[in-house]
Amino acid sequence: MKTYRKTIVFLILAFCYVGIQARTSPTYAVVGCRLVIGNGTVIEKGTILIRDGLIQSVGPAADLKIPPDARVIQGEGKIAYPGLIDAHSQFFLERKPAGQGDESETDEAADLWKNAHVNAYDFIKPKKSTREDLHKIGVTTVVVVPGREIFAGQSVIVNLNGDIREEMVLKHSYGLHINFVTNRGEYPSSLMGTMALIRQSFYDARHYGLHAGLYKESPVGLKRPAYNPFCETLLPYMNKEKPVVFNCGNMEDINRAVRLVEELGLRGVLSGANEAWRVADVISRSGLPLFVSLKFNPPSSSRYVRLGEDLKKKAEKDIYPANAAELNKTGIPFALTSNGLVKGSDMLKSLQSAIKAGLPREEVLKAMTVRPAVFLGIDDVTGTLEAGKIANVVLTEGELFEEKSAVRHVFADGVHFEYEAPPKKKAEQSPAAVNITGKWRVQGAAPSGEKAVRIPGQGTQGRTQ
Amino acid sequence: MNRRFYIITVVFLLIGTALPTFAQDVLIKNGTVLTVTKGTIENGDVLIKKGIITRIGNNIEAPAGFKVIDATGLYVMPGIIDSHTHIALTGTNEGTDAITSEVKMRDVINSEDPGIFTALSGGVTMVHTMHGSANPIAGENVTLKLKWGKTAEDMLVSEAFRTLKFALGENPKRANSFGPTRGTPRYPQTRMGVIAIIRREFLRAKQYKEDWDRYNQAVKKNKRLIPPRKDLRLEPLVEMLEGKMFARVHAYQADETLEFIALAKEMGFKIACFEHVSEAFKITKELVEENIGISIFADGWAYKMEASQGIAYNAGYATKKGVLVSINSDSGERIRRLFNDAAKAMKYGGLNEEEALRLITINPAIQLGVDKIVGSLEVGKHGDIALFREHPMSIYTRCEKTIVEGEVYFDREKGGEK
Repeated sequence: MKTYRKTIVFLILAFCYVGIQARTSPTYAVVGCRLVIGNGTVIEKGTILIRDGLIQSVGPAADLKIPPDARVIQGEGKIAYPGLIDAHSQFFLERKPAGQGDESETDEAADLWKNAHVNAYDFIKPKKSTREDLHKIGVTTVVVVPGREIFAGQSVIVNLNGDIREEMVLKHSYGLHINFVTNRGEYPSSLMGTMALIRQSFYDARHYGLHAGLYKESPVGLKRPAYNPFCETLLPYMNKEKPVVFNCGNMEDINRAVRLVEELGLRGVLSGANEAWRVADVISRSGLPLFVSLKFNPPSSSRYVRLGEDLKKKAEKDIYPANAAELNKTGIPFALTSNGLVKGSDMLKSLQSAIKAGLPREEVLKAMTVRPAVFLGIDDVTGTLEAGKIANVVLTEGELFEEKSAVRHVFADGVHFEYEAPPKKKAEQSPAAVNITGKWRVQGAAPSGEKAVRIPGQGTQGRTQ
Repeated sequence: MNRRFYIITVVFLLIGTALPTFAQDVLIKNGTVLTVTKGTIENGDVLIKKGIITRIGNNIEAPAGFKVIDATGLYVMPGIIDSHTHIALTGTNEGTDAITSEVKMRDVINSEDPGIFTALSGGVTMVHTMHGSANPIAGENVTLKLKWGKTAEDMLVSEAFRTLKFALGENPKRANSFGPTRGTPRYPQTRMGVIAIIRREFLRAKQYKEDWDRYNQAVKKNKRLIPPRKDLRLEPLVEMLEGKMFARVHAYQADETLEFIALAKEMGFKIACFEHVSEAFKITKELVEENIGISIFADGWAYKMEASQGIAYNAGYATKKGVLVSINSDSGERIRRLFNDAAKAMKYGGLNEEEALRLITINPAIQLGVDKIVGSLEVGKHGDIALFREHPMSIYTRCEKTIVEGEVYFDREKGGEK
């Protein structure tokens, strides 16, 4: 009965696997590290307990008891930070959403602006190398933004916890993204046409919503509204239920966005905005959330690039990297994003030059933790190292954003990633013990048909009978 | 009592020190002041407080904190106004459709266009920057003060007329013979088509207005009515019919100009100005009767068929016949020598210096509806001023400084950057 036995062994292994999967992740205790909570508090020698993907408790090392099932990570000499949040990125997009491919495909051009229904979620392909790049600078959460069209589509907030797209999602359809771009050869072929089109689209959505609302109230005496998928997508954004994120390529784009938000009564967010300091008063008056890009290239419209090569070089090197530092002086709250950057490592370089340009390190941390969390409406679950929040934690050697420091451990949704092979210890090797003792009913293709299987004993020490 | 006094004093002192010294406080001293509307003052001074002219005359002392600009040997004139240009914009034409009344130049102001600085170097302080002439009904234009280095919002002139650009003749009917939509003929392809499509659009606008009026009445009784769809393309035309906006019409030939006047009467909207009209000298009577201005080139013609009958005497002759004439640049290059162009009307048409000056100052100001605030040097108007080293109508002249609301935005001595 060799086959029979083989089958049983296979099945047992399968159960073990199921058992592990049922628990989101093992329990961890990061012990003795410096804890930067993210709300202003710092605990010099602290412990953080992670269970079921959440931060179970956090506090001074002396006060916390380490549960027996926890895998202990020695944090001495290391610093724990809340996982960083990148509130506007183009990472993980598997293929470009419609219309972003070959620009010569003019037959598709006509509908480019209509991509509001496109959802970044549908285009995400988890990629290990990208995830690791981001982990290594401390990022655990990113907002993936689709498309570059006028109505580019809706973004999704994901935690960098593994390779399963469904499990990564923290918030689906976070916002509607709008770019100030133009069509080729089709309306709108100019920026002024784009502005008109954005306005008309939202007014149409409002009209559609009004009609549909009245019809829903009572259909009697009313023509049934024709289903309009575009307006249907826009409705929650028109009604201020969700934010509309404007990608602002230059300072006049910021003015344009602020004006549209006021005119149309939207819940607006300013993104891109690498000329934000130049219109700080406008932004401050608008009170809109601000996602500042870490891409420092001056826009082609800028006078700094149009008035000679010397000024252009200075702009690239000194003026634009100081955007965040200048904004910080005005007291306008902002988040920092990778918007426009391709690689995670570019992001770190930009962060370092922003710091060099005068942005205090603690402001950078705020701009990539609490602030984006608040702006994105996820501050109840992430953004700081507080008990009950999602276990998005990074453990570094040296301070975050420092040139010589390195991220060693990352927890995303409590899933542990390690970026240095420490001396192997047995306790750290094996996953938490899983108890599979008990009576199991299994079905298999064994020649003898169905069999009841009992696993007596304790823990994983049981034998099949 | 004593304490309160101290507190009040301290508060006042604090307010006093906190008050900014206005960059716009300036005294222009000892120049030949060409007021345009109130004659010439030799060795004259112009006092500008917070951007507004508060005194003009001789021997004015500079109040404390005022900057003094020595204009000895210089000519002081109102800032030049260009009634028709396309600078400071991101994009000029939405050429994909014949009717694009929904677009607004206000949306696409490019405050960083170096053309602004070029214009300042020629003494220009205000422009009416317009949609191009690709479409019969194009878009809403915008009037800007040339505050180089400031943002679009700072440059807007809210007092100016709201104007909608129209285009007749060759440009709108051949708009699709080049560019990305080349080869796909767009209606209209003829002059009659151009007028017809404009008429059609106004008729649609009238219907639209009626629909809304009917809805607004009916909804008072029946709350469950569905309103008409808001149509941004038709709304500017409704505003034209209501007299809230005026037409600025690109037209060359006398015949189409008269045709458009008839259409305006038929539909009931107002024309502020015709653009280019190289045949204006043929229809001065009608233009005067209808109180319509013209914004033209000094001596550009025959660069296309419809401009073949232009004459250099157009501006001078039309002025003498009582037409409100302005000289425009329609270009980011000619804009810096509008004073030369205006002076040509002295040689061709026999205008005197002041009449010629009016072509680029008070006349365009009237055309834009801003003559209450700019266009001449008068107490109460904005301190928008150009300083020339010879009389601005002299061929040997050159702009030395350009001032907008008391702030120097161009200074030849300092060159490039403000």
